[in-house]
Parts: sequence; C-alpha cells; structure tokens
Amino acid sequence: MKKEVVAMLLAGGQGSRLYALTSHMAKPAVPFGGKYRIIDFPLSNCVNSGIDTVGVLTQYRPLELNGYIGNGQPWDLDRSDGGVHILPPYMVEGDRGTWYKGTANAIYQNMDFIDQYDPDYVVVLSGDHIYKMDYSQMVDLHKRTNAACTISVLQVTLEEAKRFGIMNVDENDRIYEFEEKPPQPKSTLASMGIYVFTWSKLRQYLLTDEANPASSNDFGKDIIPAMLNAGETLMAYRFQGYWKDVGTIDSLWDANMDLLAPNSSINLYDTSWPIYARTPVKPPHFTGPDARVSHCLLTGGCQVDGCVENSVLFHSVTVEKGAQVEYSILMPGSVVKAGAKVSYAIVAEGAVVGENAQVGASPDGSADWGIAVVASDVQVGPGAVVSPRAMLREDVKGGEQA
Amino acid sequence: MKNLHGILFSYRSNANLGELTRPRNTCSLPFGGRYRLIDFMLSNYVNAGISDVGVIVHESYQSLLDHLGSGKDWDLSRKHGGLRILPPFGYAQQPGREYQGNMDALDGVRDYLKNIRQDYVILSWGDIALNLPVAEMFRQHIDTGADITLLCTPSLLGVPHQTEYVSLDDEGRVRDLTIHIPGSGDALESLEAYILSKDLLMELVEYCASHNVSSFSKGVLQPRLKSLVMLPYVHKGYVGRFQSVESYFQCSMDLLDPAVRADLFDPVRPIRTKDQSNPSTYYGPDARSTNSLVADGCFIEGTVENSVLSRGVVVEKGAHVSNCVLMQGTVVKAGAALSCVIADKGVVVNQNRTLMGHQTYPLAIAKGSVV
Repeated sequence: MKKEVVAMLLAGGQGSRLYALTSHMAKPAVPFGGKYRIIDFPLSNCVNSGIDTVGVLTQYRPLELNGYIGNGQPWDLDRSDGGVHILPPYMVEGDRGTWYKGTANAIYQNMDFIDQYDPDYVVVLSGDHIYKMDYSQMVDLHKRTNAACTISVLQVTLEEAKRFGIMNVDENDRIYEFEEKPPQPKSTLASMGIYVFTWSKLRQYLLTDEANPASSNDFGKDIIPAMLNAGETLMAYRFQGYWKDVGTIDSLWDANMDLLAPNSSINLYDTSWPIYARTPVKPPHFTGPDARVSHCLLTGGCQVDGCVENSVLFHSVTVEKGAQVEYSILMPGSVVKAGAKVSYAIVAEGAVVGENAQVGASPDGSADWGIAVVASDVQVGPGAVVSPRAMLREDVKGGEQA
Repeated sequence: MKNLHGILFSYRSNANLGELTRPRNTCSLPFGGRYRLIDFMLSNYVNAGISDVGVIVHESYQSLLDHLGSGKDWDLSRKHGGLRILPPFGYAQQPGREYQGNMDALDGVRDYLKNIRQDYVILSWGDIALNLPVAEMFRQHIDTGADITLLCTPSLLGVPHQTEYVSLDDEGRVRDLTIHIPGSGDALESLEAYILSKDLLMELVEYCASHNVSSFSKGVLQPRLKSLVMLPYVHKGYVGRFQSVESYFQCSMDLLDPAVRADLFDPVRPIRTKDQSNPSTYYGPDARSTNSLVADGCFIEGTVENSVLSRGVVVEKGAHVSNCVLMQGTVVKAGAALSCVIADKGVVVNQNRTLMGHQTYPLAIAKGSVV
C-alpha cells in the first residue's frame, strides 16, 4: 500500500570508537539511559511523528539488534501494513550483491523495499544520536519549499564546526554549499545526519552514483554534493533542542550523565513524546536498609544496598552493602560486590566487580586519565584494581592490576 | 501444558477493602509497585504453559479490561485461544444480577466452557498474590488420579469469616471442608483454586444449574467429600490475601522482606504485567531511600523509607514518606509527611500536610483525592 513517508534507519555501523562496548553488538544496540538502547530514540521519534514504516539497515553484529527489535511491538510497529523491517545486505542472482559499501549504497540496495510503498518522501536517519525530534515538521518544510532534499542542522560553536559537516545557507535557509569538517568554517550550522528526500529524485541520484565506480557511495561525500552541483533545492531545517552524538566512550558517558539534570537535557518524563523500549519482566527496584542513593537513576530489578551517587543503573544491577558507585554507568545485570568502588566507569552487561575491587578513579588532572570500561560478562576479581581509562575485555584475577 | 485450561474468577469486589475497591474489583487492585492482583494468577497460568484463559467478570471491570488489553503482555494474544474476557450474558427474561457464587458464574459462561479445547481446567480467584508452580500442581493431579485437587496453604492467613479450611484424613484425602471455622487443629487453609477434568466440571455446572446451587464449596465439595476423591496441593511459598485494608497494607510491607520477594518474584516464573514504557526512577541530590520497593518512572527528591512506591510517584524535596504504599502517580509535595498511609492512584498531598495512620490501622486515601 502507498505510504507518504518511509523512514530508513542506518544501523549497520560498528561504532569502533565505543571499543569494548560494541565488540558483541552494533552501536545502535548499545544500552543508554537506564532503560533504553540508542536505537529507541530514532524509532520512537518515527512513531511519534506518525511514520509507521521503518526499514532498519543492519550489517555489523546484527544479532542483538534483531532480537531487540523483534516484531516491533514495543514501538507499536507490529503492523500488518508497514511496520518495522530489518534489512540486512543480501545476495542476488549471479553471485552479485555486496556488503553495504556506504550510506547511500545501503539505501540503493534496498530500493525494492522502498518502492513497495511507493512513497513521496524518504527520511534517512542514523542510529547513533540521542534526541527527540518531530520529523513531520521537517517533512512539512520539505514539502512547502518543494525541495529535493532537506537536511536537519544544529547551531554549534565556530570551534565545534570544524568537526562537523557544515551547511552554508542563504537568507531563506537554502543550502548553497556543503563542507565536510572545514578548517575555516563559514557557518555554524552542522548537519545532524538526518535527511528528507523526495524519493523520485533520490532514486535517480542513487542510480547515477552507483554507476560511478569512483564514488564512495556516501550521502555526505557523494549524493549531497551531486545534488548541489545539479542545482537542486536543498533546504536546511533548523533543529533546536537536545542532540548528542554518542559515538565515543566520553560522549556516551556524558549523555548518560546529562539525564541526571532532567530540567536542562532531554526530558524522558515528558509523556507527550515518550521514548519506547523493549522492557524485560522485572519487579520494582529495591533500596536496602543501608542504601544511600542520591542523584542517580535506578531501574526495575536493581538491588542497591551500597552507596550510589551521580550514576545511571540499568535493570537488574546489584550494588552490595559497603560498595560505592559514583559517576558511573552500570549496564543490565552487572554486579558490584561488597566493599568495591566503581568511579568514573562504564560497567557493561553482566560484568562483575569483585569484593573490595576498584574500577576507575576520580579525575586527577593527568593526561592519561579517562573513563574506565569493563566489557560485558568480564569478572574483576576480589581486590583487583582497574585503572582509569582501562578498556577491560578479559577477566582480572583477584588482587591484580589492569 | 497443552491440556490445561485456565479460568479466573474476577468479579468480586471485597467490601472490606473500603476505598481501595470502590473504583474497581479486587482483581485489579494495584500491588507491589507495578502489578495488579490478577497479574499473579494470570502469570502463574502462563508460566505453566497454559495458552487459553477465560476471565470471568461481572461489574466494574473497566480497569481490568484496560489492564489486560489483548493479553499480549502475557503472550496471550493468540490466533487460537489466548485470553478471553467473559462478561455476563444478559437474557431478556433474566436481567443482569450479581453472581451468587462461583457455580452461578460458571453457569453464566456455560457456552464458553463447552468449547474448551483442553481435557482439564484450573479454576481460581484472580485476587491472591502468590507464585504458584501450576505445572507441578497439575502433574500431581494427574499422578494421583484425584477427581479434584484443591490448592491449600499450611499457614493460616485469611480472616476466618472470609476463609475456608480443609481437614485431611490419615491417607491425606480431604475429609472435611469447613467454612469460616477451621475444622481441626491441623487444618489447611483453602485458597479456593481447583484442578478438575472438563467433563467433571461440565457435569457439576449442569447439576448446579438445575438444582439452583450457586456455591462450589457448599454445593459441590461438601456434599461429595465421599463420592469424589479430593486431594490437597499444599503450596508452601508466600501467599498474599487481600481481605481488608490492614491485610493489604501488611502484604505490601511483606514485600520489603528479601525472602518474600525472592519467592514471589522468582525469575524462573516471572510475574508479568502491562508494559508502560516508563523511564528509570530519578533520585535527586538530596534524596534518601531505604528499605523500599520503588517502581520505574518515579521522581524522588525527598526521603522514602519502608515503603512501596508504584510507577510515576513524585516525592518532592523535604517530603518524608515512611511505611507507606503509594500507588501510581501519587504526588507528595514539598515538606509533607506521610506515615502508614495507602494513597490510591493519582492522590495529591499538598505542601506541608501531615498524614498519619498506624501499622494496625493504615489510612487509605481514595483515588484522585487532593489533600
């Protein structure tokens, strides 16, 4: 059946700068904010914007993500018409077919999927940002200006502009130039990696781009410049609000900490724009007789009898009596045993910090300080010490240092 | 467990629960921070692999309908079978009247019973909190060849005037069933849940309908103690019964005991409930929370101790909540102090108010009240 808008969510990225956190899963599946995974944000935005047909393009380590999305029921995307579809790369007749070569190629390879719905517009999203956005407003601007492509932009500082794709616009916000990471930025409007395309136009550009063997098949590097060169109308949609790239350990930690300032960051308690998640069946969390909890997020199934401050705890985390957790992120099912101290750290799913062990430390101003990361299911033995900025992928025996 | 069908009686509204059951029947009473009472028995059924469940309702079942929906949160939204809500069927000659007893209720849904695909049926009330291994109870029923297996608990918990008791003979067979008075010193308490064959059930329903018998206990069990083999299934785990405001409060406080939670929320047989997509609970810089069970989506900046908080409760700065049960969406404003209070859904306690009940006489505040 025809759909006006189809969303395509690029979720194939490895997220190599999240190191140990993405060794078993794609970046969009990384847990975030106590209850969520990163992909919940673009998926919920789609549903809240009235988009009911979403293709999720997967490639790297898709098992976790596939299982999580399932039939799409937590996002009300289990539809008989439309709904959520996982789209991995596939083989075609004559041993052709490849991995997704670039962002544009990923869409090119799924043109048949999009054509089934004969959409007027295609929204292209990425799975590594935390934000709330009404895509329908962006589509409205796109329609009103009769654009071929509309790109969502965010005002950044001149210094930050050097790290982004920057849009140079005229007085009507029509884009006349695109510069990737310019050393001398002419504007401070950074691309958020969110595009609305008129499908009939994009279709043509994808075919042309694919025929060019020199192309890197990327939206930012190839498609957008080609459209600009051809004189198409490209519009900038100015977004205001919270938006965070969570592609690095530091930014992921930062974005989680932002949730502890509920009035100044993304408000997850606002019922008019809910973020949905697949929630495991867990009883409420329990704070024990000796618990001290302040400035933190706690989730169902947690048992806290130690001290937790300035931290985000996912479901089923145990913090035993006498343990101390500060400025840390404890992912589902992790355990901090009695007397252990976890400070400025990310402890991934199912990892165990043994009695009196120490993970991470407060910033001491030194250059090699950083957030310590304990990968999923890793055991830190009793009394072991995991130094700041460590990236722990293997068990540490009791009393040893890593 | 393809051969067992589940029936849940969900029509009684226990008058002794006062304000708590005015807007709803007892089965949809919130309990344990994120559950409704019906979640326990319904999850027990599902965890035993039961795929077809009939929920018999009568009056004030709107909140129950809203809670159960299509049954998808219990994996009971099925192409065949699954969850069926069974409201009374009103005949023109016989306008809707309250069910006089559970046989009356079963007769009201006789057509549904006839079409049950399974050979065995479990009947129980939807307003008790326990984690029951239904599969084990069913296995015992089959292995012993009993006509009726009765669910019993060795600990006497119920208020006597609302409770039934079972006495056994030397072979462990039910010798006597007494209502309101324990028949012997070592009597077991009946939890009024039964497994029997569909054929026997249909026979009993027809008999009772034609003889104007409405009570299963008085009309079926008591007269047939000799002719039918009745054996108890003794459940030794935790049982929460909700027969008064005080017992509701006590059961809520029981949940603060780690052993009770380990039993009731056994991860092998999880208690499922309606998913609401709440965010995590936020604790502010000055918050304190000790010995408390707190559901997701709360916003706590004050002090909470020895309490059970449902989803979306707000405790503002300087507010003090101790020994309380706060249901969904309760707001306790700055400086207010609550002790031994049960606040129903959506209660707002304004700034600096002080409300105190007692352990033995908790103060229940009606749904949506503003104090």
